[in-house]
Amino acid sequence: MNSVFAQGLLDVDFGLFFWVLITFLLFLFLLTKFAWKPILNALGEREKAIKDSLEAAEKAKEEAMRISKENEKALKKAESISQKMRKEAIEEAEALRADRAEKAKIEAEKLLDQARNTIEQEKKKALLELRAEVSKMAIEAASRILDEEIDEKRNKKIVDRYIKELNQATADS
Amino acid sequence: MMKQLLRVLLINLVLVTGVAVVSNAESGGENRIDLIGKVVDHYYLDFKPLATVELPRLIYDNGRVHVYRSTTSLLNKSERFTDAGYIDAEPVIQNGKIKPATYQVVRTDGTSPQFDFSITSHLVFFWVAALLTFLIFIPLSLKYRKGIGRSSEPRGAFQNIFETLVVFIRDEIALQNIGPQKYLTFTPYLLTVFFFILFMNFFGLMPWGVSSTADITVTAVLALFTFATTQIFATRDHWKHVFWFPGVPVPIKFILMPVELIGLFTKPFALCIRLFANMASGKILIMAILGTIFIFSDLFGPGVAYGTSWVWVFLTLFVYLIKALVSFIQAYVFTILSALFIGLAVADHGEEHAH
Repeated sequence: MNSVFAQGLLDVDFGLFFWVLITFLLFLFLLTKFAWKPILNALGEREKAIKDSLEAAEKAKEEAMRISKENEKALKKAESISQKMRKEAIEEAEALRADRAEKAKIEAEKLLDQARNTIEQEKKKALLELRAEVSKMAIEAASRILDEEIDEKRNKKIVDRYIKELNQATADS
Repeated sequence: MMKQLLRVLLINLVLVTGVAVVSNAESGGENRIDLIGKVVDHYYLDFKPLATVELPRLIYDNGRVHVYRSTTSLLNKSERFTDAGYIDAEPVIQNGKIKPATYQVVRTDGTSPQFDFSITSHLVFFWVAALLTFLIFIPLSLKYRKGIGRSSEPRGAFQNIFETLVVFIRDEIALQNIGPQKYLTFTPYLLTVFFFILFMNFFGLMPWGVSSTADITVTAVLALFTFATTQIFATRDHWKHVFWFPGVPVPIKFILMPVELIGLFTKPFALCIRLFANMASGKILIMAILGTIFIFSDLFGPGVAYGTSWVWVFLTLFVYLIKALVSFIQAYVFTILSALFIGLAVADHGEEHAH
């Protein structure tokens, strides 16, 4: 028996096998229970927390983006509404002004018409009156001539006087 | 004499396969470098030149366990057992005590005892690695329990380094190979395996340290655990793939059945051999390269040996660095392959059969 190679390199030693098996089982159990499980749980928890907070941040970002977009939209809308309102107001004012001018014009026209009518009527009335007066005067003159047809000289004198009177009346009136 | 010495050294160098060699006692000089002896298991811790600490012996024989403090104590106190080397030869006595020769305990009639549960150097370093894992990760878990790393960021180099490794194993090894549904079930096992192997590998790099993973028994146990895990957690689908491979013609099914059956066992066997061979070869390589100095001394004289020694020392340093790298790589490889085999076994193919 060789003393140096008492144990071959490829020999499986039963005693060692037994001890290693027992030790490994024991430490596998102990380490799993007291080391790996707590560590892995803690790591998982931490990763979940990080993931959750990242997701929450992403969500908050999206929400903020959405709100800002909404705000912008609302702002735009408000602006367009105000623009529209202004435009409408301007248009309305314009329409009102035009309307009023039209009305004023019509009113003025109407007034003018009225005045013209009045003038016409007055004129007609005056003419009628004048005509009546003239006829009356003519009749009067004629009757005077008839009444006092004494001589031509006197006749002429009457007519002249009458005309003078007439002129005087016209100047008086 | 010189030629004989050289021959023994060369034989030892070639013997990386560990086949026990019948070395001729008459040629065995005192200067022999026992390569395999540096790698195999011992019943003592070697702190040469300071001390050699003999480990306790536990021997089960005839229905009871015989416990001795050390091999020397056993040889001096026991009537039942003796050293295998002292069956034919006279025991070596030092300071009035019988000293062990082969550390191989046999009954006085030369037969082996029933079971030898003695503590060995590899076992001690396995325990050291286990204890180290325990002493690192229990305080770490306490930190997480307190809330550091749970609700806040990890604090300090200690927590950061080990958390990185834990997360790496969980995400890059377990999740990638097992899938998102079941990976958390197996992550504790993978973590345990990874750190045990890593620390065992690292002890092989330390002075007087022994790498327990350079022992096929240790790697066999680890591979056995992976094997057991794959078999226990294997799904219906997995067995269906083993015995009645879906999606191929019936004759092919009969061909594939033995192939798949053999595959069940070759996977853990390869795991076991890979880790063992990688770790054992590193140490053997270092010893062999350093041994070259002594071969040169014998071949060309001490002058040449001194002159060229720096080459071998640098080469050793290089191999040592490679070993440090391999320590990591092999721990990673064992873990990722375990995860891969577990992932294959627990995969639920469901309806889709992409084969």
